[in-house]
Amino acid sequence: MPADVVLKSDPRTPGAGRLRGLVAFGDKRWFSAAIGLVLAVLVLPPLIFLVHGAVTVSEPGGATHFSLHRFSAIVAQRGFLQSMANSFIFSLGSAVFALVLGGVMAWLVERTNTPFKPLAYLTTIISMGTPYVLYVSAWLLLLAKSGPINNWYRQVTGTTDLLINVYGLGGMILIEGLLWSPLVFLLLGATLRNFNPELEEAARMAGAGPFATIRRITLRLSLPSILALAMLVFIRALEAFEVPALVGLPGRVHVLTTDIYDTMHLSMPPDLGSASALSCMLLVLVSALLYFYGRLTRNAERFATITGKNFKPSQMDLGIWRYPAAALLVLNFILLLVLPLIILIWASMLPFYQSFSWAAFARITPDNYKNVLSSSRYIALLTNTFVIALVTATAVMLIASFTAWLSVRKAPGAGVLDQLATTPLVFPGIVLGVGVMQLFLTVPVGVYGTIWIIVWAFVINYMPYGVRYSFAGMLQVHRELEEAAAVSGASSVTGFRRVVVPLLSPSLIAGWLFIFLLATRVLSLPVLLSGPSSQTMAVAMFDLWGNGQGPELAALGLLWSLAMTCIALIFYFIARRSGAGLQGQG
Amino acid sequence: MRVCARGFVAALTLSMLMAFSPAQALDQSLIDAAKKEGRVIWYTTQIVNQFARPAAEAFEKKYGIRVDYIRADSNEVALRILNEGRAGKVQADVFDGTAAVASLKKENLVLQWVPEGARRLPANAVDEAGYWVATNLYVLTPGYNTDLVPKALAPKSYEDLLDPRWKGKIAWNTASSPSAAGGFVGVVLTSMGEEKGRAYLQALAKQNVTGIQVAARQVLDQVIAGEYAIALNIFNNHAVISAAKGAPSAWIPMNPAMAVLSVISVTKDAPHTNAGKLFLEFLVSEEGQKLYRDADYMPIDPSVQARDPSLRPDGERFKAITFTPEQIETNMPKWAGVFRETFR
Repeated sequence: MPADVVLKSDPRTPGAGRLRGLVAFGDKRWFSAAIGLVLAVLVLPPLIFLVHGAVTVSEPGGATHFSLHRFSAIVAQRGFLQSMANSFIFSLGSAVFALVLGGVMAWLVERTNTPFKPLAYLTTIISMGTPYVLYVSAWLLLLAKSGPINNWYRQVTGTTDLLINVYGLGGMILIEGLLWSPLVFLLLGATLRNFNPELEEAARMAGAGPFATIRRITLRLSLPSILALAMLVFIRALEAFEVPALVGLPGRVHVLTTDIYDTMHLSMPPDLGSASALSCMLLVLVSALLYFYGRLTRNAERFATITGKNFKPSQMDLGIWRYPAAALLVLNFILLLVLPLIILIWASMLPFYQSFSWAAFARITPDNYKNVLSSSRYIALLTNTFVIALVTATAVMLIASFTAWLSVRKAPGAGVLDQLATTPLVFPGIVLGVGVMQLFLTVPVGVYGTIWIIVWAFVINYMPYGVRYSFAGMLQVHRELEEAAAVSGASSVTGFRRVVVPLLSPSLIAGWLFIFLLATRVLSLPVLLSGPSSQTMAVAMFDLWGNGQGPELAALGLLWSLAMTCIALIFYFIARRSGAGLQGQG
Repeated sequence: MRVCARGFVAALTLSMLMAFSPAQALDQSLIDAAKKEGRVIWYTTQIVNQFARPAAEAFEKKYGIRVDYIRADSNEVALRILNEGRAGKVQADVFDGTAAVASLKKENLVLQWVPEGARRLPANAVDEAGYWVATNLYVLTPGYNTDLVPKALAPKSYEDLLDPRWKGKIAWNTASSPSAAGGFVGVVLTSMGEEKGRAYLQALAKQNVTGIQVAARQVLDQVIAGEYAIALNIFNNHAVISAAKGAPSAWIPMNPAMAVLSVISVTKDAPHTNAGKLFLEFLVSEEGQKLYRDADYMPIDPSVQARDPSLRPDGERFKAITFTPEQIETNMPKWAGVFRETFR
């Protein structure tokens, strides 16, 4: 077994185990309890509201009673099973597509000598700063029935058919997969970069070819990361709303989230009870998935690849295959960046959106940019958005790094902590929004209508991502390093602070960056929770979209993405530098 | 259901003939109290850059009172205020829409108060019980892309929409709002009767009408972009606004069209009640009504003519069925149900 190379130094010998137990027991227990309390206060109340709302039926007189009839009504509803099936296919398809696309890019960039690598980073960084609603509308413009691709096809073939009908399951998977592939690239890239090449070298020495090495060593050892990512994208797609609504519904493809949205929007007042019941079903589904995931990664220690040993990352020489690989990078760059950018620039200069034509070209105007830059309202939006994202990202990574550490090192109550921190995965944004709103309307602490209610909801929503980032990094830091600290007299918290955090910093910074950027562009929570003076940029963009001001949205979106890309670049280089420093220390 | 198509139009015409009293001076104590509050929070369904932004700026300029607006669709406005009310902390001072007031007044969240300036308005523009006052009229009709559909070929009646040539080329918004599938279903059932109406909708379903979950404004934009040829139930003034910018858009005077009142109310126990009241006075005043006119909307005040008078149903060449907020609230669950049965 290849992992034996690492396992040789496994400290689970009786003596070492007793030493660890003595050091850890004293302070980790209190620490564990404190973090558990924080997580419980964050996570449980919206959950309680959700379940309570689903099983409580109010009578006309104002009395309420317990009932499960909403659940049976939903199951009996026409199309429910079809929505379930669609949700599953959509999520699986998106996860596989994002993993293949992002994974191949990550491997080419981190572990081979393919040229044009900077293109992949550029694509990722810019796409991380781009709001979803902007991305989805750009791809819809490209792939629309009247979009350039279908137009071009009709001109070339002379038919009136469509080359691509984006409105359907295929289109949904394509766009959702494209949305998530940069995240896969970033996370898998971090894993591959910190990969101990000794094992691969050993395989090559033993006569394995390059592809056998990838299959039997690289892929196997990256398995926890790959599974974690697959689960992340799968669950995120299961809860996704933008793509199913904008791409699925016009093609009559219903999924669970659009069903939840329908129960809230096709009746007045909104049927929050049925929406909660549907959400509870989603909750059960996701919990089951998480359970299996937990079983899969239980023995993740076997996969630790950062040890106390020194190593240098090695790159595979692809030979003549470098050129097709480079073509793939360029294609990815064009697909994820160049094409959406071109169509958005085109849209941003029009008084109303039209396909490219000379007649439309004659209409181009800077008015949309003028409108955006002259409106004083955008300054308040900018401030709100930044404060929310900054506080959210910092709070999440702080709590998440402790949680991941306690969880990976099997502190008392580690299972509970992990469960609490990953529970928010079950909340679709819109349902979490309603839960948090009801919480702060019931508990009068003056948070409602301010930016802090959005921060609160975001912290809950992004906790699982923060934990996954910290977790992925934590799995690679071998326990022997902390034990060395413990033997030198450090308490386990000091060991965490002085040894683990510095080693984790690339993962923590990457996670911070990811959450920061996510919080600046996600819509579903702020749209529900923002009060009169706590609106965010994503809400403003959604307003423009709802208003039908596509061109002004394109202008605002491009300016905003430009600013966010600068921030993403700064943090990216910080992350790279600390990563390089880490490897140098060995 | 009480349908007041002709009555409404007649009242508008009648009041146009009446002598107008000179604009009443507003109660100074209201203005002072409003200025002291300094701020008004407006939950609106109005399109921001077409109306909400200009109206807020004009009010701020006149009184120095800041207007913070949030735009959302009707259901979301209702949901927000409903939740705020249940916890006893309503944040909105003023809200508008076509139906939200009907459900919110049942929850005792709406102030019974009618602006002084509303006395000039036709009787139908003011709620009998005093919960709302109308500011403008929306007329919902189909719209089309004039590049894809030559004017001569554009459908002129509900029957024309069933022409096989439009199969797969029609789109609408699928929310349960008057400006969406729900409203279209309502007009068809009301004008054709239950049985004929349902048969018509069955036939329409065979045309594969594409449902998109966006505002009617955005449905029209997708038609302008060439994605679909025809949009059902869009605001006819939007087609005019876009055509003025050079977009290939036009609307169809369908008989009957749907007319809905855009109404506005002050919330009960609003944080800035006086500023909210003053804002309502402003919007129904001649000055406020001219803002609607200048934005190419149809002012409710008959003395302020829309810039394009053909938008407004004249009751002869172009007829409409008018629905009040209460009628929409009562019937929408049924209409939404028929929509689901027929089109999903």
